[in-house]
Amino acid sequence: MRIGVLGIGKTPHKIQHHKSLRDLAVESGRAALADAGVEPSDIQALYVGNVGSVGFNYENSTGLMVAHHLGVVPAGSVRVEAACGTGAWALHLGCVAILSGLYDTVMVLGVEKMNDLATVEGTSIIAQAADSKEEYFSGLTFPSGVALTARKYMQTYELSEEDLAHTSVKNHHYGARNPYAHLRFECTVEEVMRSAKVADPLKLYEVCPMTDASSALVLCREEILRDQPDKPQVYVTATQMATGTWYAATDTLEDAHRLFAEPAQRAYQMAGITADDVDVAEIYNSFAIQEPLGIEGLGFAEPGKGWQGAADGSTWIDGKVAINLSGGLLCKGHPLGATGATQAVDIVEQLRGTAPPDMQRKDAEVGISACRGGPGAVGAIHLYQRIEG
Amino acid sequence: MTVSAIEFSRLGPPKLRLYAMRCDNGHLNPWWEHHHCYQCGSDTLTEEELAGTGELSNYTVVYYPPRDFLGQEPYVVGHITMDEGVMIPAPVVGVAPDDVEVGTRVRATLRRMKLGHEGDIYYSQKFVVDEAAAAEGRPS
Amino acid sequence: MGEILRYGAYLPQYRAPLGEIQKFYGRPGRPRAKALCTPALDEDALTMAYEAATAALEGGDAPGTVITVSQSPPFGLRKLSATLARTLGLDDAVPLDVGGHSGSLLDAFAVASALTAEGAPPALVVASDHLVSHEDRVCDTLSAGAAAAFVVGASGGVARLGAQARAGQEVYDVWRLGTEPEARYRLEVLFDAYGATTRAALAGLERETERGTGDYAAVCPSQPHPQTLRGLGKAGVAPEQLEGTSFVGEIGNLGAASVAVALAMGLDAAAPGDHLLALGYGGGEAIAQDVEVTGRTRDSGAAGQVAGEAIDLSTYYRWTRGRQAEPH
Repeated sequence: MRIGVLGIGKTPHKIQHHKSLRDLAVESGRAALADAGVEPSDIQALYVGNVGSVGFNYENSTGLMVAHHLGVVPAGSVRVEAACGTGAWALHLGCVAILSGLYDTVMVLGVEKMNDLATVEGTSIIAQAADSKEEYFSGLTFPSGVALTARKYMQTYELSEEDLAHTSVKNHHYGARNPYAHLRFECTVEEVMRSAKVADPLKLYEVCPMTDASSALVLCREEILRDQPDKPQVYVTATQMATGTWYAATDTLEDAHRLFAEPAQRAYQMAGITADDVDVAEIYNSFAIQEPLGIEGLGFAEPGKGWQGAADGSTWIDGKVAINLSGGLLCKGHPLGATGATQAVDIVEQLRGTAPPDMQRKDAEVGISACRGGPGAVGAIHLYQRIEG
Repeated sequence: MTVSAIEFSRLGPPKLRLYAMRCDNGHLNPWWEHHHCYQCGSDTLTEEELAGTGELSNYTVVYYPPRDFLGQEPYVVGHITMDEGVMIPAPVVGVAPDDVEVGTRVRATLRRMKLGHEGDIYYSQKFVVDEAAAAEGRPS
Repeated sequence: MGEILRYGAYLPQYRAPLGEIQKFYGRPGRPRAKALCTPALDEDALTMAYEAATAALEGGDAPGTVITVSQSPPFGLRKLSATLARTLGLDDAVPLDVGGHSGSLLDAFAVASALTAEGAPPALVVASDHLVSHEDRVCDTLSAGAAAAFVVGASGGVARLGAQARAGQEVYDVWRLGTEPEARYRLEVLFDAYGATTRAALAGLERETERGTGDYAAVCPSQPHPQTLRGLGKAGVAPEQLEGTSFVGEIGNLGAASVAVALAMGLDAAAPGDHLLALGYGGGEAIAQDVEVTGRTRDSGAAGQVAGEAIDLSTYYRWTRGRQAEPH
């Protein structure tokens, strides 16, 4: 049960005032079509992940708009939304569509254009991915909700802010080397500690920026890719989704672990591998604390120890498992609906061996992407494998 | 957050009185659980007024506020475990961020919650440090 | 008349720098108050009334009547008393709004005394105000806010609400035209009228009680401006009688809450047997009332709340602008 990754494409991840929502979608979509070597008319279904075009861009029906401008007509097209897990959900639906046998070739595209509005307006739109009317009425924000989780994590496992700062250092090390990343600078633990406070204990270098970007994948039936041996043989070998808690107030550390652990176990089973087999991982980290939580949820570390890899090197490029060699959301930014698709594209690049030299894990064969959404609501796991012959 | 007056007038965030939702198995849920108990799944919940005292069980300091809290930053917001047992999110006002800690005793007071950039006023419960509890040497 | 059973006061903790505000608006002269007692961005007449009321009600019987005294937004088209009663969980209480001027607390005492009877639930009387003025007139009106609350019953209290005397004259020291959001204050006329009507009311009270103005342990006046306190001297009030009850020079004009806060301070400092003189003035009318202290109860701590936490000019500006509905 495999899904072929026929093509991938992505736009730079940054503030792009000169490009519209549709410009971004067309750019990544065409790149993926070209990479796949197919025409728009070959696409039988289009899944467009987009979270907030109604708020950010005052336009709706994003799926239909992208279909028109990309020329993917008359294939069916739909917009997919599941908070920050949107891109991963679009990918899931694309995979399920192939696995169902109904389609041979589909496109998954994530896109978000966030920087047409002032930050305070954008923040209000992002807050709608949580219960902005009932829970966030209290003055909570997305960052402050996650800050509460960070404080809980630090208290439970007796950790300092410096301990957690290593995660940002690692991400920025690689982000600085990623030509597609939004924030391209390296930083030290001291610089993370000195960066502006956002919501105690979260600091600026532990928070992702608002970014304009799009990423796309062309997926196909296993045989179609198998029959083109000159193309890189990368397959999605598992796709599993879960829903956790929608409220920061009731979200425990156990909930945060379970959000990834439960679908990840199902995914490992689906692919017939274990966490030990994974070479590269893209783990959602719009806030730095989510990376160690994700590492623990995926089974790469015991609860409370997920932060250590960034400090001791075991989650760096030649560690046991290389995590967020793209720089993660902390550096790439978090174009909400695109993020899950970008994670997939970045892992596929790793398995193809086409990542930029300083970011390429040697001989990567097995990759995982883990995307989350809402305060603790979406857990989305995908496994990818390079399978020659 | 933008809400219309119609929306706000419905049962929702606490307005003039602080309440929680009690399910028929006795579990207490935050005010937003109207449809099922988060602990046992019971679908019968009724509104129950809270005494208004509790303990700060987790908190953060917000430096970049949402629109409705502009002008009040930095402010303390956290999870308050009410004496009835339910945990609710709420701001703690009238105190410097350095003067609160996990375990600080707090009591509810009435404040303007949403400053109504459309000109509307919404009241709700914020919390202040419970000086009386501190003076009596109750655990804090 | 009724008796005060318990009472409480709430002064917001923030103090705005009047001197700097005055400089900011280019107002000449020295500031008439050290600071302005300024409600936080999320406070107003209702929330301050709630604070004072919960302090006064703690440990006592639930009142059957809630009377509020205020001249500030946000209400005016609905009853502050009804909203406060709902907030306090007093759904069965009769809510009454007493509007008018800085002395209206004493009107509310008259109403409360008339309503309370032996065996009946007491009345809650709350004065809460954040004086309304346009930004550039903050300095003139010493715009500040606070609240104090009194539980009034038929007997068993700590102070007896004694005789009242009133005196009035036709004067336009404060008024508001139909389209204006804030009142016009004419301080030069106010000082004259304050002095003249106060003297007349005190004379009336003395006739009624046979107690001279100098015989009160303390005088608890409305105090829109430090000048009015000096005017009281001409009416026979000695500086010592104002020592523990004057605050306008420290924290500004508390509007309809000023007599209430002054009375709370007076009660805190009084001993059984003392008489206090409550004195309210507004719009050409002065009201004087004898309050006989008969016992002790929990202090309001009002005097201790006069000192507050200084805020800077930018915070003050941000808060007052952020309050949206001008004037503040």
